[in-house]
Amino acid sequence: MIASILPSISPGTLLAGGVTAAAASLWLLLPRGRSAAADRASRWLGGLVGLAALAAFIATGHRLGNLGTEAVFLTVALVAVISGAATVVSRSPVYAAIWFALALAGVAGVLLVLGGQFLGVATIVVYAGAILVMFLFVLMLAQPAGLAPYDRVSNEPLLAAVAGAVLLGVLSLSIGRLTAEPPACCLMPGTKAALLAGSTAAAETPGAATAGVDMLADNHVARLGGELFGRHLLAVEAAGVLLLVALIGSIAIVSRGAADAESVARRAAR
Amino acid sequence: MTMNLLADVVAPAPLVIDGLLVGALLFALGLVGILARRNLIVMFLCAELMLQGISVSLVSWSRHHGDWGGHVLVIFVLTVAACEAAIALVFVLQAFARTGRLDAAAWQSLRESNLPRTIDRELPSIDTVPPKFPKLAPAGVEPPADEDALLEREHV
Repeated sequence: MIASILPSISPGTLLAGGVTAAAASLWLLLPRGRSAAADRASRWLGGLVGLAALAAFIATGHRLGNLGTEAVFLTVALVAVISGAATVVSRSPVYAAIWFALALAGVAGVLLVLGGQFLGVATIVVYAGAILVMFLFVLMLAQPAGLAPYDRVSNEPLLAAVAGAVLLGVLSLSIGRLTAEPPACCLMPGTKAALLAGSTAAAETPGAATAGVDMLADNHVARLGGELFGRHLLAVEAAGVLLLVALIGSIAIVSRGAADAESVARRAAR
Repeated sequence: MTMNLLADVVAPAPLVIDGLLVGALLFALGLVGILARRNLIVMFLCAELMLQGISVSLVSWSRHHGDWGGHVLVIFVLTVAACEAAIALVFVLQAFARTGRLDAAAWQSLRESNLPRTIDRELPSIDTVPPKFPKLAPAGVEPPADEDALLEREHV
C-alpha cells in the first residue's frame, strides 16, 4: 500500500526496518526495574517505536483485492498483535491475562477471515472460556498483594529482544520468498512451462491453488467433522485418552503434594 | 504426482502470506516473553501466545493447499494446550506452595553448574501516593452491636 507511494523503499528494507524497530520497542517496553519516571518515559518511547514497526509491517502487507476484507483483516490482525505485545510487557500478571484474552479475540478474528469458522469460535470458547479462566484462578490463589519485584525486572531483555528479532527476520524472509518465483534450480525442466501456465492461472483467479476443495463453501463444520472422524479417528481417540490422563495426573499431583506438605509439617512438629 | 508438485510451488494468495506474517509475529512475541519474563504464569501465557501463532500459520497453509489437515491439527493443538495448562498450573501451584513466590529465579539451583547465579539488585521504589478519597461525616444513630457478630472471628 504505502510501498506503492514510496517506490524508493524496497520491501526488504521495509521489513528489516520493521523487525529492528519491533525488537527495539520490545526492549524499551519490557520491565527493567527502573524508577517510575524512567519507566514511564521508556514505555512512551517504546510505544511510539512499536507503532512505527507496525506501520512498516502494514506497508509490506499485500493488497487483498477486496477493501472490506482488507479492513477487517487489518483490524483483527492489529488487535491480535498489539494485545499480544501488551501480554508480553505487562507488569501485572492479571493485566497480562486480560490482554491475552483480547489477543485471543483478535486471533479468532484472523482465523474467521482465513476461513476457519469453527476454529475461530472454538478458540474463543476453549481458550478464553476455559483455559484463561483457569489461569485467572491460579493467579488469584498465588499472586501476592501488590507488584512483586520479579514482575518489575526481566531476564536479559536485550538478548531476548534480539533473539525474537532474529527469529522474526528469518520467518518473514522465508515468507517473503514464497511470493517470488521458485528458483530455476529446483524445477524439473519438463514442468517449467506447465508451472508458468499454472502460476499465471493462479494469478488470474486468486485461490486457484485451492481449486480442489473450496473450504469456504457451506457445510463447513459438517465437512470438518467428517475429516476429523474419518481420516483422523485414531488421533481423536488418542486425544481423548490424553485428556483423561492429564485430568488424573493433575489430581494425583495435587493430592500427593498435599500429603507431602502434611508429612513435612508432622516431621517439623516432632 | 505432477499435480501435487504444481500445487506445492504455486505462489500463495496474498491473504495466506499476510496470515503467515501475523502468525510469525505472534510466535516471535511469545518467544521474547518466555525468554525475558520471570513470572511463571506470564511465561505460560507467552507459551500459549506462541501456540496461537502456530494455529494462525496452520490455518493459512490449510487455506493455501485446500486441505483440512491444518484445521484438524489446530483442534489437536487446542486439546494439548488444555492438558498442558491443567498440568502446568498444578506444577505452578506446587512451586508457589514451596517457595511462596511465582518467580522462575526461585528455582535457579536447578541451573547448570557453569552458569552464574541470578542476583537481584535493589529496585527503586515505586513512590505511589495512595489516592485521597473524601471522608463522609458520620451521621445518624449508631446501630446496636450484634453479639453473634462480635463472637465470630474473621481468621482462625
